[in-house]
Amino acid sequence: MTTGADSTRKGRRATAVDWEQFRALLVASVRLDLRSTRMQRGRAAKFPPVAAAFATYLVMGTLLALAVMSTEDIFVFSLFTLSAAMFMTALLVIMEYSSVVVHPDDFDILGHRPISSKTYYWAKIANLGLYVAATAFALSIPAAIVAGVRYPPGAALTAVYLLVALAACQATSALVVLIYSVAIRVFNYEKFTRAITYVHTLSTLVIVFGYVLLPRVLAKDVMLISVERGAWVYAMAPAWFAGAVELAAGEAGRQTLVLAGAAVASAAALIWAAMNTISLDYSRRISALATASAKAVEEAGRRRSLGRLGLPLCRTDEERAGFELMRSYMTRDRKLRARIYPAFGLPLAVYIYGIITDGLHDPFVPQAVSGGFPAHQLLGFYSVFITLFFATAIAQTDQWEASWVFFAAPVRSRAGIVTGARKLIIWRYLLPFFVFLFILLAFAMPPAKAAMYVLLNLLLALTAFALLSMTSPHMPLSQSLEKAKQARQIGLIMLLGMSMAALTAILELMKQVPQAGLVVYPALVVLALGAELLLRRRLDRRLAGEEFPG
Amino acid sequence: MEDGARERATDAAIVFENLARSFGEIEAVKDVTLTIPRGQICGYLGPNGAGKTTTVKMATGMLEPTAGRAIVEGFDIVQEPLEAKRVIGVVPETGALYTTLTPNEYLALVGRLYHIDRDETEAKAHTFLELFGIEDAADRLMTTFSRGMKQKVLISAALLPNPSVLFLDEPLSGLDANTALVLKELLRDLASQGRTIFYCSHILEVVEKVCDRVVILVRGEVIADGRVEELKDMTHQGSLEDVFSELTSSEDLAQIVRAFSRSVTGDGERSA
Repeated sequence: MTTGADSTRKGRRATAVDWEQFRALLVASVRLDLRSTRMQRGRAAKFPPVAAAFATYLVMGTLLALAVMSTEDIFVFSLFTLSAAMFMTALLVIMEYSSVVVHPDDFDILGHRPISSKTYYWAKIANLGLYVAATAFALSIPAAIVAGVRYPPGAALTAVYLLVALAACQATSALVVLIYSVAIRVFNYEKFTRAITYVHTLSTLVIVFGYVLLPRVLAKDVMLISVERGAWVYAMAPAWFAGAVELAAGEAGRQTLVLAGAAVASAAALIWAAMNTISLDYSRRISALATASAKAVEEAGRRRSLGRLGLPLCRTDEERAGFELMRSYMTRDRKLRARIYPAFGLPLAVYIYGIITDGLHDPFVPQAVSGGFPAHQLLGFYSVFITLFFATAIAQTDQWEASWVFFAAPVRSRAGIVTGARKLIIWRYLLPFFVFLFILLAFAMPPAKAAMYVLLNLLLALTAFALLSMTSPHMPLSQSLEKAKQARQIGLIMLLGMSMAALTAILELMKQVPQAGLVVYPALVVLALGAELLLRRRLDRRLAGEEFPG
Repeated sequence: MEDGARERATDAAIVFENLARSFGEIEAVKDVTLTIPRGQICGYLGPNGAGKTTTVKMATGMLEPTAGRAIVEGFDIVQEPLEAKRVIGVVPETGALYTTLTPNEYLALVGRLYHIDRDETEAKAHTFLELFGIEDAADRLMTTFSRGMKQKVLISAALLPNPSVLFLDEPLSGLDANTALVLKELLRDLASQGRTIFYCSHILEVVEKVCDRVVILVRGEVIADGRVEELKDMTHQGSLEDVFSELTSSEDLAQIVRAFSRSVTGDGERSA
């Protein structure tokens, strides 16, 4: 007979953390992080994506620290560098949630073992904490060194800055975990994966507005590395942590003390809340999240059959096969969509902000250069941002083992299959996005100018899509998902996007020489077609010798 | 634990009471009631989609029943999941493993999850891998392993905690003939020591040779339950394969084969 005391004891056991299991799970997770699942010549690749991602972050952190080190104000320096670190951390956890927090494989491997949900959850959170700490370190160590060299009291500030950056990034990741935990509780299994797709996109929007744009908005000048410190700093999480750095630098004003206090309190509260937001049946829910019911999938297939209208774009059977395969996956694989949709968040946030603040001007008129919105400077950046998400996502899935069929089937051209998949992306995502952008911009500038601007971006996007696809020349859905793979790619996007600023020269040329468009547009068409041709040749060469990765 | 379950635990290792599971409108498992005594090897058969894996998932705590309950060694898998999971070993159909670990690392992880002494884990892991003939690969990442090698690691992991009940879902998948033979003998030996084995498979010859009892599931319902000889007598068939066909197939197999053959060669289309 079960007694009350028995029930209580069992309840305690079920909700307690088994520290031996915790250590074992954490060690295994760290090992998995540090190893690549990719195969190179029959052996596991030695250089894991985690290492590459950290190297990318280190470069980003260095560039950022150097870019803002001219400011005399340690608060402003910290605000910008910490904003960037927090933004990247949030993006990383959002984009890679399926590998850094929820891992569907875990359930199949661990679900039948005697592990309490709390032990499992804490091990995953601890693993995430280590991962975020390493990322925050790579992003922030250059800024910490600059802070120690540039601002008083010197070397001690390096250590304090680093600690504050780690706390800020941990608090950010804890916030994302909390959002997910709440979503798991609020939505049922079917709705959760669908909701998460939109949460991803919305979070990107919120993060962009909150952490990147707002300080610049308040400064009224995007290029000015200074901010007017008003009451808004209390609403800005990065400003709280910048206040903590400022306090360590010797500034002990009332506002600084309040900000530093808010930083400590928010970090402690968020980390505590994330650690204690335990769903006791968390691991069971994870398994349910990995699958959608057959009925829901069928409905999704019926709802979204418009993608087939693009099928005539495909010229060969291989292209049609790739197109249909990608169409099915994009329709039915919510995880794939959840990885891709956030790409639209950043550009939409920027353009919507431009319209709301009436700062979006005709980019073809010279006087618009001095306007408050950087559309003319950001030409190409978002095209690259979006297309790289697609270029990498086409190759990746957790069902990559099914790709053996490409290697077994006697197809005439493997490159044709990739081309078909890419045509689906262009037809179903890139073209509608740019049409939507045109409608959006038509509110802010004459439709003809909006069309010219969008066409320019579209041509650049198509060129970028072809060029970036060369960096991931694999069969569609043939590569396994790896932790940090996407984070590294986001880092690369940021770096590559910065270099795309050179493309503003095109706009400048068109402003100065009204007829330049007659040359620029055909040249860009040739560029896009040339990039496509180059890609096709590379794919032909590369894929002819590619072996099944399993 | 309730008195009834505790009493049953004295002689029954596995008890399913009106176990059922639905996925939306689909009833994958309907009202399955079974009592499997300690030391028995119970074959659980059925056509694709009959509900075998769903039953195993419910019995091992990986899926919550929509009705009924599963009791393993006296522990209700939903009410006392940790206690129940401590006494079971599972070879899942999915073959899921952390392939970027080595077999030694994976078995060490499993050992620590069951609080097995490190030396004991190492000794057992060494023995299992040696018996399965993959000791040379003990420190190699499993990303390079064949399906059969991975299956050997999965079986080793299931046996490592010395479970009193084993749930095996297609355990011979990918194994070579010699290893399959070893495993069959091993199962008999374990059963003779009082271990209970719940064995899901499509390989009827193996089930016929290894299992003391066979349960046949069709569309989520148990349609036959008994010793192999009893089922043969009941259906007047000479082999388990024929029994299975008699009980589960509503169509003429020869006709199906002919239709398939015509479809593969295209004869049907041409003649049409």
